[in-house]
Amino acid sequence: MLELRKVSKHFSGIPAVDDVSFSARPGEVTGYLGPNGSGKSTTMKMITGLIEMTLGHIFFQGRSIEDDPIAYRRRFGYVPEEPYLYNHLSGVEYLTMVSQLRNLPQRESSERIDGMLRLLSLYDDRHASISGYSKGMRQKVLIIAALLHNPDLVLLDEPFSGLDVGSSLVLRSLIQELAARGKVVLFCSHELDTVERICTRVVILHRGRLVADDTIEHLRSLMELPTLEGIFSQLAVEQDTESMARQMADLIHA
Amino acid sequence: MRKFLERLFEHLPLQFRILCRQFLLCVVDLEALSIEADIPRFLGQFAGVLIMISIVNFISASMFLLSMTWRIEQYLIATMMLVAGLIVVVSWDATFPDRRDVMVLSPLPVAPRTILFAKVAALCAVLSIAILALNVATGVICPLLLGSQHSSILGFFQSFAAYWFTMVAASAFLFCSVLTVQGFTALLLPRRLFLGLSAILQLAAFGLFLGVYFLQGTITTPAAMATPENQRLLACSPSFWFFALLNQLNGSLPPALAWLAQRAWTGLGLSVFGAATSLILCYLRTMKKTVEEPDLVPGAEGLHWTPRFGSSLQTAIVLFSFRSLTRSRQHRVVLAFYFSVVFAIALALLRYVLSPVTLRPLTPDFIIPTILMMSFAVIGLRSVFPLPISLTANWVLRIAQLCPSQKYIAATRRSQLLFAVLPVWLVSACLSLSFRPWHQVAEHLAVLALLGLVFAELSLIGFYKVPFTCSYLPGKSNIQVAFWGLVVVLLVLTVAFAPFEQRALSDPFLYVGLFIVLSAAACGLWAFNRHRAKSAVLYFEELPEEIITTLKLN
Repeated sequence: MLELRKVSKHFSGIPAVDDVSFSARPGEVTGYLGPNGSGKSTTMKMITGLIEMTLGHIFFQGRSIEDDPIAYRRRFGYVPEEPYLYNHLSGVEYLTMVSQLRNLPQRESSERIDGMLRLLSLYDDRHASISGYSKGMRQKVLIIAALLHNPDLVLLDEPFSGLDVGSSLVLRSLIQELAARGKVVLFCSHELDTVERICTRVVILHRGRLVADDTIEHLRSLMELPTLEGIFSQLAVEQDTESMARQMADLIHA
Repeated sequence: MRKFLERLFEHLPLQFRILCRQFLLCVVDLEALSIEADIPRFLGQFAGVLIMISIVNFISASMFLLSMTWRIEQYLIATMMLVAGLIVVVSWDATFPDRRDVMVLSPLPVAPRTILFAKVAALCAVLSIAILALNVATGVICPLLLGSQHSSILGFFQSFAAYWFTMVAASAFLFCSVLTVQGFTALLLPRRLFLGLSAILQLAAFGLFLGVYFLQGTITTPAAMATPENQRLLACSPSFWFFALLNQLNGSLPPALAWLAQRAWTGLGLSVFGAATSLILCYLRTMKKTVEEPDLVPGAEGLHWTPRFGSSLQTAIVLFSFRSLTRSRQHRVVLAFYFSVVFAIALALLRYVLSPVTLRPLTPDFIIPTILMMSFAVIGLRSVFPLPISLTANWVLRIAQLCPSQKYIAATRRSQLLFAVLPVWLVSACLSLSFRPWHQVAEHLAVLALLGLVFAELSLIGFYKVPFTCSYLPGKSNIQVAFWGLVVVLLVLTVAFAPFEQRALSDPFLYVGLFIVLSAAACGLWAFNRHRAKSAVLYFEELPEEIITTLKLN
């Protein structure tokens, strides 16, 4: 289980994530939602250890992630929000490098890379430079790199970004399959339909603070709203969206 | 002057000004610099190195010009052309619009001619900085001394104008010639083929400029210029054309050499015309091609064998370093700056080795250059290691950091040995084939290998980074001072060490002693680095030192 206890992150004294506590359990897909700038990606980066927490603790399988960072890094896979890759490498070179950095057996990793490249229709372009890849292709490389070592904790920050419909459907099923096999999946997205379909429970963040942490079913009945979109709008959207759209159109015409 | 330039700049169209500034900064890859980076300081460093060369030239010119006028003139022109050539190599892909330029600027209401003029202005600005910096000292002393041939004050102004015009013309000739070749290659070849060939052309141009500079001799008397065996060299070598042009403009050219000056005028005219034509055609014809094609050639099908270089981690880092060095223009160029010294020494040695005398004894004439090659190669690679290739992609190394720091340092050491020490050692071994006796050659190569290990370990002291993954603070290394300081120290130490080694090669006891000392130094440094690396933390962001100012209120 992944557990965050009173986690905060301040940038120059300004809180980006403020006193956030929640847990993600094995066998479940936990959706992590929030408007832009609410602190979702910052939380993800703190869970991966890319940035340090200002306050609080993160535990995985009962141990603080700071106790043995190397052992912890072996156990998670991460798809970041932006598809930043080494552009001078080819897809297969990048994935091989990741497998080597993770010290995976050569033959096994090679088979996994080839297999996953084929499944995600990237095999024919595996030797092309990543700089020539589309956003979706880069996203596929990131997904393969995150899953290559069969992690126990899967952290997905906007994993559907740039993917075509077919690949999105594959990924959606894959996330559910990974959870069914007992992995902890924390899934960050703006696509509420997808979240509603695959997540068991959701954590909603607004202005760095937790505003909901419950199953979707329970939230629906509690708030008497039929969809996750309605729940999200009520909890995390402050503006009158239609009025804002009108104002913008007026501004352009002015 | 500054106010005048600012006012002049303000009168230029806004789009031109913005693009020009942007393209000027693009000569330095912005991604390679950290958040704290200072680009003007980076360009200042570049100018600083050239100013240092100018001062050295100034001193030597003041001492020798009157006795060796022609030699100095030829040397200054050849150096100017070399610097212009190196700038062409540095800004190789910056002249023509790349995919990013086209993708960003095409949707905007910016005319292609504005982009073209802004690019040309940015490149001219960099070239002007180089011309000014390289001639800041010699550009005064040489006209002063050349003008002494004239009796009037006007003679000095004539020499002054002749000197500066020649330097600008020689630089423009080289710059435009390369642009012409590059432009017409881009026009005639399919874009993918051009992109593949462009990197090879870049390296070929680099090798050509250095090869000509270091291998071409000087012709210092009118009599030598008139000899039939020198006519071919004179006809083919542009530095002699511009030497003739300088003297023609100064009024000191012997009539028999007027044809050389004519060549300079013709060459300058043709190259400027060729560059202008190819640039205009490229902007008109290849913009669309650029959008349609990716900037990098797709990997070819077939053999993709990846050798192992030790453990998985070592293999990953060595291959990453190799691919970064070979595929990144910026890294290639910075490394080339240092390897040019190695290349020049190797070329000079080759000329020495190929001279008619065969099977010569091993002397400091061979020992010194091989040691210098080794040291410059190690310094060069160490200098390029901290330059990042893509800061935003480093997250993967951080989350996949599953080994202790010393394993990463060991992998970096292996890269240093494979890409600097081993190639230099192999080149030295090949060059040593014409030396005898064999046992001395073998002994020297063993000493050279040990020195390579020592240099590699020295270069890794305090380097707790994965090569090409840490942000970079330009100016921190003070390269214009450090480089020349290091050159002087290395020269002094090597010149002192070479006779000692020569003695040791013929005295077994002394040699064993030398071997043991060098082995102990290599092992000691290795152990020292390994011990320090155990407690080191790998870092990915170079941060400026915090300066604490004491207010002394007490």
